[in-house]
Amino acid sequence: MKKLINGIKNLVIGLLTTGKHLGRHAITIQYPTQKWEMPERSRGIVVLLSDKETGELNCTTCLLCEKACPSSAIKIVYEKDEKGKRHLKDFIVDHGLCCFCGLCEEACNFSAIKLATKYEFSTYTKDDLLWHTNKLQEVGRDVPYEKVERKKPEAKPAAPQPTTATPSKPIAEKQSAKTGEAISPAEPEKNPELGEGAKPQEDK
Amino acid sequence: MELANIFKYLYQSLANSGLPQVWVDIIALVAAGLIVFGVLAVIALFLVWWERKVSAHIQQRFGPMRTGWHGVLQTIADAIKLIQKEDITPTNVDRPVFYWAPIIAFVAAFLAYIAIPFGKGLIVSDLNIGILFIIAITTFTIISLLMAGWGSNNKYALLGGMRSAAQVVSYEVPMVVSILPIILFAGTLSMVEIVEAQAKIYQWFIFRVPFGPIAFIIYIIAGTAETNRTPFDLPEAEQELVAGFNVEYSGMKFAMFFLAEFVNMFTVCAIATTLFLGGWQGPFLPSWVWFLGKTLVLVFLLMWFRWTYPRLRVDQLMEFSWKFLVPLSFANLIIAGFMKHSKWFNW
Amino acid sequence: MTASKALRTEEFLVNMGPHHPSTHGVCRFLLTMDGEVVIKAVPYIGYLHRALEKICENRTYPQCLPVLDRFEYCTSMSCEYAFCLAVEKLAGIQAPERAEYLRIIMVELNRIASHLIWFGTTALDLGAITPFLYGFREREDILDLFEMTCGQRLTYNYIRIGGVSRDIPSQFIPKAKEFIDKFPSKIDDYVKLLNENPIWVVRNRNVGILPPELALSYGVSGPVLRGSGVKFDLRKDDPYSIYDRFEFDIPTGKYGDCYDRYLVRMAEMLQSTRIVKQALEQLPEGDIKAKVSPQFKPPKGEVYSRIENSRGEMGIYIQSPGDSKKPLRVKMRGGSYNHLQVMPEIVKGGKIADLVAVMASMDIIMPEVDR
Repeated sequence: MKKLINGIKNLVIGLLTTGKHLGRHAITIQYPTQKWEMPERSRGIVVLLSDKETGELNCTTCLLCEKACPSSAIKIVYEKDEKGKRHLKDFIVDHGLCCFCGLCEEACNFSAIKLATKYEFSTYTKDDLLWHTNKLQEVGRDVPYEKVERKKPEAKPAAPQPTTATPSKPIAEKQSAKTGEAISPAEPEKNPELGEGAKPQEDK
Repeated sequence: MELANIFKYLYQSLANSGLPQVWVDIIALVAAGLIVFGVLAVIALFLVWWERKVSAHIQQRFGPMRTGWHGVLQTIADAIKLIQKEDITPTNVDRPVFYWAPIIAFVAAFLAYIAIPFGKGLIVSDLNIGILFIIAITTFTIISLLMAGWGSNNKYALLGGMRSAAQVVSYEVPMVVSILPIILFAGTLSMVEIVEAQAKIYQWFIFRVPFGPIAFIIYIIAGTAETNRTPFDLPEAEQELVAGFNVEYSGMKFAMFFLAEFVNMFTVCAIATTLFLGGWQGPFLPSWVWFLGKTLVLVFLLMWFRWTYPRLRVDQLMEFSWKFLVPLSFANLIIAGFMKHSKWFNW
Repeated sequence: MTASKALRTEEFLVNMGPHHPSTHGVCRFLLTMDGEVVIKAVPYIGYLHRALEKICENRTYPQCLPVLDRFEYCTSMSCEYAFCLAVEKLAGIQAPERAEYLRIIMVELNRIASHLIWFGTTALDLGAITPFLYGFREREDILDLFEMTCGQRLTYNYIRIGGVSRDIPSQFIPKAKEFIDKFPSKIDDYVKLLNENPIWVVRNRNVGILPPELALSYGVSGPVLRGSGVKFDLRKDDPYSIYDRFEFDIPTGKYGDCYDRYLVRMAEMLQSTRIVKQALEQLPEGDIKAKVSPQFKPPKGEVYSRIENSRGEMGIYIQSPGDSKKPLRVKMRGGSYNHLQVMPEIVKGGKIADLVAVMASMDIIMPEVDR
């Protein structure tokens, strides 16, 4: 009998608990008309950033982001001039492959690539997820960022061989030299790794 | 403003128009049927929307907001969508059974309203065995659920159909026995006379302590079980049987089950209003407003249950009915009989 | 003679899953049923196999972390944490103290978030829909904290080898404190809704009893093991990182049924808030990351590191060849795998509804099983 009364009491308590919420305001929002303010660090679509004054891309075609990408979503097409300097031809980001981890943004030394806070970019076909330089730049125009002017590695123009495009070498060495503990320096040997396998290597 | 007067006036003018009496009666009956059907269809659509709104607000959401004022036309949009959808008939179903099940569910859900008074004089037919008729008709739903479960040729559906059969049969007993004290005191089976027996508020059967409230609680519990709603929604337990008996149904057939379910819920609450809460009785407002208001309060109660409680297990469900509700309702009947006989309480 | 006249009954097979509302993903059970009673249940796994271990073997160590996020996506932070601890152990990297604190704050918040998912889905599996939404409501607050810090709500990629990726923003601490302060009152709501609710009690009490011996023999860990009365928590018994600096209790159950597992997890959420509170108070200033090159190569060797995840022991085994940026072999161990294996033993003879209740109380998450 006591059990019964207790049970009924608790059933009523349950009803009151849900009833308490009945009069409260909804915590959800009406999405397409109302939008959530994304936190500043939110990782949305990948965009290319341009210089505020000149309007040119910050990208120096160092290929660090392409290397850092775990899902091979970035593809950089470039050509080399006589001095071995790379010129960007096309910067392709496949948002269908992208896992929005932000490693490319961290790898970049020139504030050239960023995961913007924008998130609405669904398309009807998969091909539309493949963004080229123009679109990446256009979407990235109004993305606020602070340009981190890192010292350009001096060794950069003297890239060892034209075929092994590994500009990560000097930076990696520099970093490991600073910490100097338990970190093996990154040899720029030609690893048959995934990032490089997907690279176009357009030499002319 | 009593609606009954308007209908009476219409009937009178029809009778005075010179048609033979047979035709007048036929037209009046068909019109009454259509009106009840139309009203109930609107109520069912409204209830679906209301349920979504109640659940949304309990869960601090908005619920449907886009179609019409606060999404009030959402159910109509959904119904149109369901009509347009392809009506899939799986290959190995028992075709006639599969086809007829939703129709029976739909028709059975509406038939009960022949004998339910919506307001003073607002009743299709004041049967002198009204309550008996309603109980018989509402049990009809179980046949359709069983048919759906069997006809679908699906194991989940079969389990769901069997569960619903077992459940409805078990809960029919306490439900009927809990109604008996009312009949005992009202001395009639006619719904209208039962309502008239509760003219004053203290005469409402729910306030006739001790048997009234107990009977009311038993009736509401059994009614919840009968309409397959949480915490007794085992026949369509989503997490166990996917969708139970209507797992194979789609399109308009599914919509028919769905609407029938909501009409059934309204039926149970309407009967409870008539039997326990004085039906249409109430001051100031027109009688049909009172009836609707009281019924909707009960409907809200059922919705509140649904969005609060977990679900019972099938054996616990049976145990609760046979080991608790049935003895309690019989004890209640005995108390009521004793009270009636001793004339201690002569309302 | 009576036998021939008796009604012939027949067992039948039901494929519960892989697309079934309560199998939490794509688990499939082949049930042999006698009416409502489950005679035999055989789990079939592999529907969510994504070869995560193999993918890791083709990535550099920092690149593995986004993959690890997808290992057990309800507690991505823990997966990253386990992996980073393993690599750090292998390479002898010491994360700065502030980073250790941040990691623990994040992992414990993630544990609460994961338990909230469990709370919601368990209630949902037993038919109560509203607690599901309430659980997710509080989880949103935690995810907001995560998004504010690392930019994502599910696949964080926050804990890195040698530290964490970014420092917490300035609003983080006040918001986290606010959450920690209001969370117990929210738990109170859940308790009112379910704990003493007679329907909830009869659905969970004495259902799916897992005796401690059986649990240990199957390698069950985490809240499920503690629900069976075995007081074993890696945070206390094999303290990693700085867990020895915090005060918290390890709740245990008594009977090992679904209800005990429920109570253990509810109590664990409160214990986690205690840890987060202490960590926020003790949080030191300083560096957040030891410098680790993205191309670094740990020395040759192998390592196994384990942490207490919300679903039991999560272990990462790494074998490093010594001269490569990529691991030679990565093996992930998730608690759910063992929990799924022990289920057929304890659901036998129960109803199909009990199977659902047991599955919910085990808190199985399929990506962790299939990897």
